[in-house]
Amino acid sequence: MSAILNKLAPEADLADDRYGDIRRRAHQRLMQYGFPDLKTEAWKYTSLRVLEKRELSAGGASEADRPGPLPFEADVIAMANGLIDPDALNLPAGVRLEPLSPADLINLDYGDRAGAMAWLNLARFEQAWRLVIEAPLARPLVLAMSTSEDFAAGVHPRLQIELSEGADAVLIEQQTDRGAGLVNIVEDVALARGARLRHVIQRRNADSVWVQRTRVAVSADADYRCHALDLGGRLVRQDLSVHLLEAGANGEIDGVAFIDSKQHVDWHTAIDHEVGHTNSRESFRILADGTGVGVFNGRIHIQRGADDSHSDLNTANLLLSENARINTKPELEIYAEEVTASHGATIGQLEDSALFYLRTRGLPVEQAMALLKYGFAAAPLENAEPAALRDWLTSELQTVL
Amino acid sequence: MLKIKNLHVAIGGEEIIKGLDLDVGAGELHAIMGPNGSGKSTLGYALAGREGYEVTSGSMEFEGQDLTELEPEERAAAGLFLAFQYPVEIPGVNNAYFLRSALNAQRKARGEEEVDSMTFLKTVRESLKGLKMDEALLKRAVNEGFSGGEKKRNEIVQMAVLQPKLAVLDETDSGLDIDALKLVAEGINAQRNAQRSFVVITHYQRLLDYLAPDHVHVLSDGRIVESGGEELAERLEAEGYSFLEAASEA
Repeated sequence: MSAILNKLAPEADLADDRYGDIRRRAHQRLMQYGFPDLKTEAWKYTSLRVLEKRELSAGGASEADRPGPLPFEADVIAMANGLIDPDALNLPAGVRLEPLSPADLINLDYGDRAGAMAWLNLARFEQAWRLVIEAPLARPLVLAMSTSEDFAAGVHPRLQIELSEGADAVLIEQQTDRGAGLVNIVEDVALARGARLRHVIQRRNADSVWVQRTRVAVSADADYRCHALDLGGRLVRQDLSVHLLEAGANGEIDGVAFIDSKQHVDWHTAIDHEVGHTNSRESFRILADGTGVGVFNGRIHIQRGADDSHSDLNTANLLLSENARINTKPELEIYAEEVTASHGATIGQLEDSALFYLRTRGLPVEQAMALLKYGFAAAPLENAEPAALRDWLTSELQTVL
Repeated sequence: MLKIKNLHVAIGGEEIIKGLDLDVGAGELHAIMGPNGSGKSTLGYALAGREGYEVTSGSMEFEGQDLTELEPEERAAAGLFLAFQYPVEIPGVNNAYFLRSALNAQRKARGEEEVDSMTFLKTVRESLKGLKMDEALLKRAVNEGFSGGEKKRNEIVQMAVLQPKLAVLDETDSGLDIDALKLVAEGINAQRNAQRSFVVITHYQRLLDYLAPDHVHVLSDGRIVESGGEELAERLEAEGYSFLEAASEA
């Protein structure tokens, strides 16, 4: 995979700015460890080789159309082709956006080659932002990430999202890719004591390679809930790890991925119970049609001493064509006592008996199939609140069925 | 309304219906009784167009149309309804949404206007009330978590909303207690009129006590071996199906 390295990370192009030392160190790590390939366990089903064939330019400041409007009032932070224009922002009270300082970026460790994309981000990010949410927000905050049709760059957005004590927010990452570049996001989310975050990741991508690493740290009595609706793309890799750091922390992930022909979507989630009296729940569903490929790896880790923790992980998968593929794996690692942890994984096809039943009621076969797919896929979205958010997510889902 | 002539149906190459004749006129209620394995449910599925139920010879005509040429949804839009012996659970699909979609799909196929949600809800609420079903069932997923009796009653609700010309009820009485049986019978009787026809497939006479069928047929080994009026059902109840063997030996 050195071809990719030479292409993505020429040392000569490394920016020499106030983050220069950090970039050089990250670059060295990347060169030392190399890129993941199919022998790297965490990248077993997802190859980045498509990047070898791409001539990626450096990130520029070209315009990108915003994603479609939302059917409810919201405050928007636009990120076009990987860049946020801070002068164009109109942030509500209780929200700040500021550049990260070099001091914020020291002592980071992304491990070996499995973390190569995060090292690459650290070496080459164009902007690094801290988004602080200090108070309960009256309406959702939207991070509208889009790329333009002529987007062919490699960009490495970097975000640190912090919720202060008592903050309560709905943050919607509305991701719309129309280009054919590389978007390589590193995102660190931290919830202070008692904070609440409903984190929506809604993605609809074209041909870009989209790699996103989201790490969430949840403090005492804080509540993190992710609602994901991934409508696919040429190549999507999402890592989402939720770390329950103190007693009373709660972490939940509800996700749906719909993957069509020539699309590849890989979700690696991990929920880490680092201490006791922490709770988690995860429900993830994948539907793969045509030649689509879906990957789900859901890890629950209950550390030694994290007694009286509770966890439930469920994944269900639907293959809609003979050529679609889904690789799904729940992983439970439990080192504590007095815990409850359950998991289930199913993989199946649309049931003939259900299809026939609907048709005998007069539904044409296409409509009957859409209804069955919807019935399967909508379940994890039912937990999204408020109702307007849920309705929007389910209507987005219906557009692809 | 329905004309079946010398019908042969095979599943996976095995012949189950072996030369069945049945003529159902408008407004008539026909009961089809018979022992397990006689082909009762196969007849229901063949009429509704289930894949794998192959009509190898004979004919099924519904209002002059050859049923075998129609897809299941086209049969529904033409006015044929099958109440399932085992109604299928559809997780995640809202009961009210499903039923309204089905009704409007049928209306669209017939070139009729779609029904608005107010009119629809009024109709469905009346049906639910008649069958003593909780309105909350409308918000639940289709048949999911319903008791056996609720599933059967839900089939009758669907029938009442979809207003078919011919309803084929496949053992709608099985698994019902006596109170539920009465409700289902009342639900069926409420839909009877001079135009609408019924084929009631059943194992037992007890449902027929409430329905007063115009014709009773006995199905055995894929053929109708005996036809008569209500008295035939009474005789079956009294003597069991063993008299069939006696009759065939004689």
